[in-house]
Formats: sequence, C-alpha cells, structure tokens
Amino acid sequence: MRDVAVVSFAPSEPGLTGVEETETQLLFPVINEALAKIGITRKDIGFTCSASCDYLAGAPFAFVQTLEATGAWPPISESHVEMDGAWALYEAWVRLQHGDVDVALAFSSGICSRADIREVLSIQLDPYYLAPLWLDPLSFGRLQAEAVGQEPPTQAPAYTDAAAAVVLAAGDRARELVDRPAWIAGIDHRTDAHYPGVRDLSKSESARIAGQQAGVDKAPVDVAYLSAQYPHEGLILMDALGLTHGYGLATNPLMVSGLIQVGTAADAVIKGDANRSVGHASAGPCLQQNLVAVFEA
Amino acid sequence: MSEPVRFVSQKVDLDYKVVTSPVARRFDEQMRAGRITGHKCPECGLVYVPPKGFCPIDCVITDESNEVEVRDAGTLTSFTVITPIQYQGQEEKEEYVLANILLDGASGTIGQQRVEGIPHSEVRMGMRVKAVWGGDPNEGSRGWGLTGAIKHWEPSGEPDEPKEKYQEHVL
Amino acid sequence: MSSERVAVVGCGQTHHRKVRDDLSMAGLLREAAERALADAQMDWKDVDAVVIGKAPDPFEGIMMPEIYLADALGCAGKPIMRVHTAGSVGGSTAVVATHLVSSGVRERVLTIGFEKQSEGDTTWGLGGGRSGSVGAGGYFAPHMRAYIDRSGAPDYIGPAVAVKDRRNALKNPYAHLKLENLTIETVMESPYVWEPVRRLESCPTSDGAAAMVLTNEKGATEGAAWVHGTAIRSELGQFPGRDPVNPRGGRDCAADVYSQAGITDPFNEVDVAEIYVPFSWYEPMWLENLGFAAEGDGWKLVEKGVTDITGELPINVSGGVLSSNPIGASGMLRFLEVALQVRGLAGEHQIDGARTGVGHAYGGASQFFAMWVVRNEKP
Repeated sequence: MRDVAVVSFAPSEPGLTGVEETETQLLFPVINEALAKIGITRKDIGFTCSASCDYLAGAPFAFVQTLEATGAWPPISESHVEMDGAWALYEAWVRLQHGDVDVALAFSSGICSRADIREVLSIQLDPYYLAPLWLDPLSFGRLQAEAVGQEPPTQAPAYTDAAAAVVLAAGDRARELVDRPAWIAGIDHRTDAHYPGVRDLSKSESARIAGQQAGVDKAPVDVAYLSAQYPHEGLILMDALGLTHGYGLATNPLMVSGLIQVGTAADAVIKGDANRSVGHASAGPCLQQNLVAVFEA
Repeated sequence: MSEPVRFVSQKVDLDYKVVTSPVARRFDEQMRAGRITGHKCPECGLVYVPPKGFCPIDCVITDESNEVEVRDAGTLTSFTVITPIQYQGQEEKEEYVLANILLDGASGTIGQQRVEGIPHSEVRMGMRVKAVWGGDPNEGSRGWGLTGAIKHWEPSGEPDEPKEKYQEHVL
Repeated sequence: MSSERVAVVGCGQTHHRKVRDDLSMAGLLREAAERALADAQMDWKDVDAVVIGKAPDPFEGIMMPEIYLADALGCAGKPIMRVHTAGSVGGSTAVVATHLVSSGVRERVLTIGFEKQSEGDTTWGLGGGRSGSVGAGGYFAPHMRAYIDRSGAPDYIGPAVAVKDRRNALKNPYAHLKLENLTIETVMESPYVWEPVRRLESCPTSDGAAAMVLTNEKGATEGAAWVHGTAIRSELGQFPGRDPVNPRGGRDCAADVYSQAGITDPFNEVDVAEIYVPFSWYEPMWLENLGFAAEGDGWKLVEKGVTDITGELPINVSGGVLSSNPIGASGMLRFLEVALQVRGLAGEHQIDGARTGVGHAYGGASQFFAMWVVRNEKP
C-alpha cells in the first residue's frame, strides 16, 4: 500500500449548540484552518470527500450546500458519503492509494440542534419491525449496558453542532507539508448485524475485526480516542480493540464525532504528543458499525 | 372478498426548527423594508442575490460591508409552467409559472420565481418583469429564496431583452 | 504504484416496476444482488465489501437505510459504505466500489443502488415536506427550454427521444414502462407536466435495484467486462454565469474518463452508451456535453436516427431512465447496461460486437457527474 498520512486536522469549537449559521458557513473556517496550517489552498486538493446527513437538516441534499465551501469551480473530483466524516477520510485514503492524486480533503458537518435527535435517530432503524417501536439511542444504550452488567445510563452526551476537516497526503508530499505526518498504519471498518436480538451485545465483533485489520495490537498505543457515548461502550470497545485506556465522547455532534475522534488521534501524532494513536468512529444502534484507524509517527 | 392488504401507511412526524442565518436575517429585514440586497465579492466583484455570506468561487467570507442593493426589476431568462404534483402537504392545485430572473444589478439569477399578470402562453425568455410587493413577509422565509415580501413578478411593459442578454443566465 | 485492473464479473437487476409490493426494501436489494452473485458464480460469503448508494433518505423516510440493510446484504463482519451524490449516485457508487478494488484494498466488492419509490414520496422528499415542491422536472425544465432556444432544435426532438427509448424498453425484460405503439404524435398529445416537458417525455417513478460484482484480475472470470476508466466531477450548483445546459463538470468528467481509456474520438470509438436521460431533451444535451456531437448539433443525431438501436451510436438501448427510474439505481443501471453490452449478455437489446461502452450519470443541479468506460478486453 502507498504511505498516506493525515497532515492537518481542524474541528470547530467543541460543544457548539443552537448554531445559527448554515452547515456551509460552519465548514468555511474549519476547511480554511486545515489548509492554512500546512500552507496550501483549495486548488492543491486532488480529491475531496464530504459527509453529511439530510435528516439532521430535515431537507434533502445537505451536501449540495456544503459543496459551496470547497471552491468547486472549476469543477473538482468529489464524492459524498451519508455517513460519519470518518468514512469520508477512509474513502480519501482509498483514493490516495492510486498514485495519481497526492493530496485529499475529507470533511463533515452536522447541526443537531434543530430537531430532537433521539426521535430522528429512531427512523434509522428497520422500517418494518424496529422503527414503529420508536426505539431511541438511549434505550439502546440502556439495553447494551445491561448486557455487560453495567449501570444503565440515564443520559446520553448532548447532541451538538460541529464541522471538521482533515487533509491527507501521500508519501513525500506529506513529508513536505508537515514535520510529523500521522501515517495511517492501518484503517478498516466493519458492521455487525442491525438487529440487536441476533448479536451478543456484550461484545463488538465488528470493532474487533476492524481493530485487528487496522493492526491496533501490532505495537503499544499511546493514546486512543473512541466514539463511546457511555462508559459501557468504552469498556466494550477497549475490550474489542485490546486497549487499556481510551477517551470517549464528551458531546456528540452527529456525523462529525467520529471524524473528530480520528482527527484528534492523528493530531496527537502530528503535534508530537504520541507516536502511535488510535481513532475510532461508530454508527448505528448499539455500536453496530465501527471504523478504526491507527496512526504512527 | 376484500382485497388483501398490500400497504400500511406509516406517517412519521418529525419537527424541525427553522433557523435563519444572520446573513439571511439581515436580507429578510431589508426585504421587509422593500430593498433587495446582495453581497458583492471583494475579489471577483460578482453580486450574489440573495447573499450567501461568502463567495463560493473565491471562498471569501462576505458580510454587511459587501452589501449592495439591486433593482426590483429584471429580465426573465428561462421558465417553466408547472402542473403541481399532488402529495401530502401540497397546497398548489393550479398550473403556475416559475421563472429564473436576472435582476438589474445582480450577477446571477434568482430561481423559481412566480410570474403572474400574463397568460401563461405569452410568457417568454427575455421578457422584462418587475416585483409586486405586498406579500406576507413571514411566508416562505426559510433562509433562502426571496421571502414572501414579494408576492410575485409581473411584466413591466419594457421591451424584451435580446438573446445575448439572457442566454448566459439560464441559472 | 500501479492500480489493480478491475473486472465486472456479475450484473444483476430487479424487474423494475411502479410498485414492487411483493418485496420489502431488503428483498428488492436481494433480488438484484443475488442475480449479480449468480452471474459472478459467487455466494454472499465471497464478498469482501459492499458499497451501497441511493438518493436522498427522505424519499423513503429512512435515515441511512444501509444500517438496516446490512443484515439482508450479508454484511455482518464486513465493511459497508453508503454513497449519496444525488441523481448521479448509482454511478458514483460504482466508482467508489471500483476504487476499493483498483486500490488493492479489497478483492471482491458488491456494489448496489436502489430506490423503492412506492414506499415513500419523492416529490414530498424533494421539498423537505413543504408545499410547492416542483419535482426534478420542474427544476430542469428551464434548462431544457434554454437548450431548445439556443440550438434551434425542432419541437419533435424531445418526443422522438421518448419514443426511441420506450421502443428499446420493449426489448428489455427488466424495464418498467412497456408502452406499445408509441408515436411522436401520441407523445406530443400527452399533457405538459413541466412545460416544455410532457408527461410521456418524463421518467416514471419506479421500484428497483441494480447490483454489480467487481473483482481484481485474480478474481476475474471469462467474459468479464473490464473497467478502462472512471471519473467523477462536482461543480457549484449556482453561481453567476454557470451554464447548466452544457455544464463544464460534465465536459471535464468526459475528458478525464476518455483520456484514461485512450479515447480521442468518442463518436467513432464508442460502440454503445447509456447516458442519464430522465427527461427527453437531455439526450441531445448530453450528446453535446459528452463530446459525441458539437455544441448545438446533438439534436441532429437524434433526428437522423444515429442514436437508435440500429444507428451508428446507439444510446440507451436498455430503454434508459425514461423507461425505468429507481433513482438510486438509475445511474448504476447505466454503468451495468454497458458492462452487459461489452460482455455480449444484453439479450434482445444487445448491440452486435459492442467492445467499448460508456456509462454516465448526473445529479443535483446538473452539477454531479460520474462516468465509466468498459471494454471486453483488459486495459
């Protein structure tokens, strides 16, 4: 595989809520900052991958609006995932493997303060059998806590508003752009079955496979940032990834949480705070889908 | 014998709060005062109506200091006559004209504007139109479009513009 | 590093219909996926990763439906990604899947696009639940009017495309609309929906799915289609001076993919093309945008019958989007149909000796583009 690194990361200010700006306006400063940190402009980007969710805004085509933050004129090579921004980073990493593009931008945005997200997330479920039950994320969290013998949580971290951007670069281009590129030593993502009833909720098989494929256990980990909303999710993930410590989510800006955890892990390497770090993103009920990235100096 | 049940209607009701950005709010205030405003990009000089708060080409942030007023009259660059499709919540029942209009002083068109006061068969590209104010400004102001302050557009009676004036402004 | 070669070894699609009330959403996807797997002589367990695409979630009222569909697509323990790039999504989903294989990251990828329009309301979804949603046709109609105005094309060109594609659909067992004995006159007599576009010049609303299995060279079977190029482009939706009639994003996308495939004269070097024509006038518009005709000349190819199934450059011989429109699958169907053509498996609508095929999809405000070139030979 080609050596690819995260060379820059910029999130919006943590804990934002009730944001009045549009998602595009939220993205402008974080994309600007991610580029300015390494002294490049939008014209230096060879591939862009964006991430957003129509159900946060309650209107279709969130990504059509956010494209306006990329300077897409003349036209750019760009794709979009309706997933957490960590998967946009994954797609950008895949794209950079080809050798014809050296620098890529991945970003995501989400404004959670315009709807009741617990309610909104319940239409993420199987429309025939689960959605009519209006199961919300906290109920799922309590269910899973029981499965691992932990006190069921009474509250989830607040859903907040955020945007984040990362710049990835390959090989020598990465070395030119930053002193300590956060080399992606491994990255993988997996899903479990959707139905909680067919899973062993005390474990995360998908996180285990993703962690193993990403090579988490190949060397000691200095720091890990996990998309754990509750203490029991942290325990399940650390068990799956073979970690002894990991930082969870203080707040949960949907669509951006995972990219922030993964970007923060990369940033720890870039800044020299860690030589080997792990970032994790999750989606779906009871940690259904998991992405794990390992960064090395 | 009754027909077997093939569909069960499941209506999902989610409430969203509509938040207008500060840029849209300022634009709305100006509209309520009868002024159509835009932002002029300090780099390329293009005038965006309604203002976005940035120039998407130069990726420059714009604000009130970049505000310019444009005329409430312009040229119809293209249009369609819509036969409204009926769905839950659709209030439109009759055919109506939606047009893209290049306002005098703006660099680009405003889209999907209602044109009235003329038989549908006489609406044409290049036709000059003017705003009919006096609509309900609280209607349709979702941070986009021209808000409800303008009821619709109607022919101004000025001579049509030639093709060169409108054909690069389909959108 | 050099990229892995990518082969299309399996193609499957549903029988597209207005209402597939015999199947759940998951069942609809499985119908297409199982046909693609059977074609590839594979089983679910052989798949390394799934890439799924569909149009906006509000169309069916399910947020990120891939979360629920993971079970039906055999994804437990596997990676699944969800792409969404508006109307072009079926195409860009196939491009993301191709990249997973060409990068060497995965070896066998199932890619699938779908829409079950009967279980939701697209026009409602497009308006975010508010009144006054005009549908895609209402948005695109002024662009088509501008094309007619600019090119001086006669009014029967759009209807001629509508007739051609529906005749082609009669040869395609999977196509949704089966309109016998359609003539230019009957199309012109059908009511306007978004003038200048008539009902019979517009795509239907369909339930359907399309799936393909892509592998690296090692996994390729005899008779596979080979990917010779993929390209995507996005451009800003609205800014002063933007031309949605002949958008630069589409021109750039075409130039990129032709250059990868070594095509310098698309009209003469391409044997068959499936291009995204949801409203009749987009055929001449895209013929120009994709370099098959000079600007202003696209309609002349239609008039001369050049794009007929028996013509020099057959376009949308499957019946196209005008005959089947499961939106999230519509772009992938374009990619899939040209793969079938170069594999010689298109059945009654097969173009004899097709060696080079171009698949194309567009979306948003004519601002998202995805294309690929496939051939019957390795690159």
